[in-house]
Amino acid sequence: MSVPLLEIKDLHVQVEGKEILKGISLRVEKGQVHALMGPNGSGKSTLSNTLMGHPKYQVTQGQILYRGENLAGLKTDARARAGIFLAFQYPTSIPGVSVANFLRTAMKARFGEAFQPKEFRKTFKAAMAELGIDEGFATRYVNDGFSGGEKKRHEILQMKLLKPELAILDETDSGLDIDALRTVAEGINHLRGPELGILLITHYQRILNYVQPEAVHVLINGQIIRSGGKDLAHELEAKGYAPYEVLKEPPKEIVSK
Amino acid sequence: MSENKPFEINKNYEQEYGFHSPEQYVFKAKRGLSKEIVEEISWMKSEPDWMRAFRLRALEHFNRKPMPAWADMSLLSQIHFDDIYYYLKPTEKQEKRWEDVPEEIKNTFDKLGIPEAERKFLAGVTAQYESEVVYHSLHKDLEKQGVIFLGMDDGLKKYPELVKKYFGTVIPAADNKFSALNSATWSGGSFIYVPKGVKVAIPLQAYFRINAQNMGQFERTLIIADEGSSVHYIEGCLPAGEQVSTGQRWVNIESIRPKDTVLNSDGEESAVRSARVRQYRGELLTIKPISSGNAFQLTPEHPVLAVPREEVRVPRKARKSWLGEVSTKKLLATEPRFIEAGKLHRGDFLVFPISQIVKDDPKLTVAALRLLGYYLSEGSTFVHRTLRMPVVTFSFGSTERPLIEETKRLIKEITGKRAMEVADRKKHGVSVLVYSKPLMDLCLEHCGKWAGTKELSKTVMDLPPEKQAHLLETYLLGDGSRYQRTHTMVRASTASKNLARQLQELLARQGHYATISLRKGGPDTILGRKINRKDQYILYYSPEKQMGEVRRRGNTFLVPVKEVQRAPYEGPVFNIELDHSPNAYLARGFAVHNCTAPVYASDSLHSAVVEIIALPHSHIRYTTIQNWSKNVYNLVTKRAIAHENATVEWLDGNLGSKLTMKYPGVCLVGRKARGEVVSVAFSGKGQHQDAGAKMIHAAPETTSTILSKSISKDGGRTSYRGLVKVYPQADHVKSSVRCDALLMDELSRSDTYPTMEIDAEQVQIGHEATVSKVGDEQIFYLMSRGLKEQEATTMIVNGFFEAFTKELPLEYAVELNRLVQLEMEGSVG
Repeated sequence: MSVPLLEIKDLHVQVEGKEILKGISLRVEKGQVHALMGPNGSGKSTLSNTLMGHPKYQVTQGQILYRGENLAGLKTDARARAGIFLAFQYPTSIPGVSVANFLRTAMKARFGEAFQPKEFRKTFKAAMAELGIDEGFATRYVNDGFSGGEKKRHEILQMKLLKPELAILDETDSGLDIDALRTVAEGINHLRGPELGILLITHYQRILNYVQPEAVHVLINGQIIRSGGKDLAHELEAKGYAPYEVLKEPPKEIVSK
Repeated sequence: MSENKPFEINKNYEQEYGFHSPEQYVFKAKRGLSKEIVEEISWMKSEPDWMRAFRLRALEHFNRKPMPAWADMSLLSQIHFDDIYYYLKPTEKQEKRWEDVPEEIKNTFDKLGIPEAERKFLAGVTAQYESEVVYHSLHKDLEKQGVIFLGMDDGLKKYPELVKKYFGTVIPAADNKFSALNSATWSGGSFIYVPKGVKVAIPLQAYFRINAQNMGQFERTLIIADEGSSVHYIEGCLPAGEQVSTGQRWVNIESIRPKDTVLNSDGEESAVRSARVRQYRGELLTIKPISSGNAFQLTPEHPVLAVPREEVRVPRKARKSWLGEVSTKKLLATEPRFIEAGKLHRGDFLVFPISQIVKDDPKLTVAALRLLGYYLSEGSTFVHRTLRMPVVTFSFGSTERPLIEETKRLIKEITGKRAMEVADRKKHGVSVLVYSKPLMDLCLEHCGKWAGTKELSKTVMDLPPEKQAHLLETYLLGDGSRYQRTHTMVRASTASKNLARQLQELLARQGHYATISLRKGGPDTILGRKINRKDQYILYYSPEKQMGEVRRRGNTFLVPVKEVQRAPYEGPVFNIELDHSPNAYLARGFAVHNCTAPVYASDSLHSAVVEIIALPHSHIRYTTIQNWSKNVYNLVTKRAIAHENATVEWLDGNLGSKLTMKYPGVCLVGRKARGEVVSVAFSGKGQHQDAGAKMIHAAPETTSTILSKSISKDGGRTSYRGLVKVYPQADHVKSSVRCDALLMDELSRSDTYPTMEIDAEQVQIGHEATVSKVGDEQIFYLMSRGLKEQEATTMIVNGFFEAFTKELPLEYAVELNRLVQLEMEGSVG
């Protein structure tokens, strides 16, 4: 059996002493799109931040294996250089740093010697054109004064240029009007391929109308309580998360092992 | 067995490697400040009477004025005004063409990248070396248009009326304590006049630098833009002054830049690939050879060229505390190799290369060298105050008859004058003295002035060893003593560290390895008189055999290690990496691999005054990038007068210094005049950047903008101190002030002290201040794109400064970003 791209085993995560993720297991193979759905406060963003190695999120139990290797102890930047990418739900602004400068530096970090500074302008321009982004974008400051849609498109642009092997999209669909949603979804579909695994984290089903997942998981109160095919998403859309909320309090002995 | 290949020291040893510039001062005033010193400075410069009077009045103001009450007295009170040299003059005259600039000074400038800069884009450059402007050139087109760009001293000589009309009109001597100090002691700086309607398209630039310990620098700049003209002036206070030794000479290692050439341990020239400073915490080693004055410091991982004792020992066992005996045959047959400093032991052999450079100078005759030897040990020079005559004097003991006679004979031979002999019976001394300017010049040029700073010129260091032998002989007759142990030993002592090392080098060329040891100074009693003894460097050698186990191997000496000391250290370490293997250079005469630790010079004072006059419809921009070393007090007064519809912009970047107090101001005296200050400050550990701006609105419809950005880190402190004043009748004034402070950690501090005095109606005043911290989320975001933590922080900081850097010419923007990067290194992780 081949090594999965991402394998999460019984992952427990604390934030400031409070346990948010309570034993998650998940496998994502190369070329697959997995949707992770859940209501607010279920631990979706905790998972994406933990995967990216945010220092505030503490793994207390379990493992994250990326291409078979344990990510524990690997810093955020090393994870990024190894090909993990997180599209942020709320990308932060960096005043005074231009998008072009930021992306050039990021590409240099990601590709090292293989990065061709001379090619950068061309690659960058072409990528912007494909995503329908205006050229003036290049000289604006990173996320500074961007609209919601611009921020999300900027994330997809980075994903396109940094060519990750595992992309975690954290509610990339939230806060977008229908046109912006379509553009972003198209961008994601455009990037799909046999080498890329995607973990698509979302609150709503609607993006799944555009991006067809191989699997859907439901995250409630720090645990994956159901997994299934794409039909599961429709079921959630119809019934909401309420029927699952009953299971909100898992038996005590599970919480404390 | 490996081939016994001698170390060959390249013929160009001095040019290529000895990149410290020996201080060849024509005149070095005494420490401290007095009426006499001020008069002497004025006299040396042959100034007009009004300037001398101006200086003297300023001195009175300086003495009378208190320190500013609101200043950071915890730092300011540490300045010892009596300990400072107020004037140094490195060469006789200002140079016009780059080729004519003396080699030593040129080398210093090479490290600043000036020649490239000049070739590429400069219109004109003045560079201040110590106090005087020594190099200056102006684009021919500008010269034709009547643009004047001179050193301030030259400006005063050539355009006395113009200078007299404006000098001290914007900033009177009595403005504050430091402007008074500058007015009394000023030297160097720039004088610029741009005629009516002339637009100077390329920036005029100047570089300032403090090179000597306890040196004050008091440059004075005056810029006049006539009606409708425009000019951009840039001053760089770039290289830091921390001195470390990487060779026979003291070198500012942190000012070495990529592409500089140094000599590697094979004696071949090698380009520097990169020069770095990093924060280091851990063990620092002091390697003391048997000559403790040649001790050097480095981090344990840095390799040193050596022969381990273990490998060259005779088979017999070591006895008690004695080290195992060494076989000279084995020692000389073993090829030295690089060994990590941490693995060096007492008794291992270090490699001391002997300079092979020989360049004769027929002007330095045998007689001259013999007299210089006497001067070095017994001589001094001064200018007789009432007679105003240059004096060279030699002091001997009354029993040293042959020496006195020879000195008199040599003086006669060299100057043609008869020397006077003055006996001091009380002290059993005899002085030989002569009034001679040429002799004074000769002595100052080749030997320096005060006992503690005497140093030989490069010319002397390069002479054939046979000639140098004469200087050594007479020097040792004066300062040396000979005595008999099992062999004849010679001992000499000097208060000058540099001289001790130079004498060691000269003796090495004679085939003798001399040790240097330090005798610490302090209070002492001689013949019942209490004196304060200076540190003495004592040279020892035997003309009959090598000291102890020292052996000569080709063009090197092998010198045993006496002691390896280990001590914890926290602070920056400097490192240079060479282009080619072997990646090694020389430290205090010994070959080591890259890396050595800094030795801080004592504090220095920089107190400049800049006056700007913007006549109607003119435009002046003044840019400063200040990166003084962290022991410089940078207390500068800068002010402009803007007449009708004129614009003055101050761009002010402060990264270095211990304490900066600087508030560039614009007095808006004509209708519609405009003033702008963009200032950025970076304050690290132990630093306080107290910067700001003053805008004086004295005419209607005038506008001003102040943008201040500051970053504090590792307990550094930044302050914004600003004044916006609007006089009555100055209607329709607009002013906006914005201060942003960024704190890198909890230890650091930032304050704002804005003052607004508004006495007019119909004014628009805006003030905005923010303090923020570098956000964890920003760092996480950048790291999630593959940037290392430090790269992420640097990017955020550079972004914060962007409003400033985007206004700079590209070269300066790049330089500023590089400096910020250096400052940020070691701050995280």
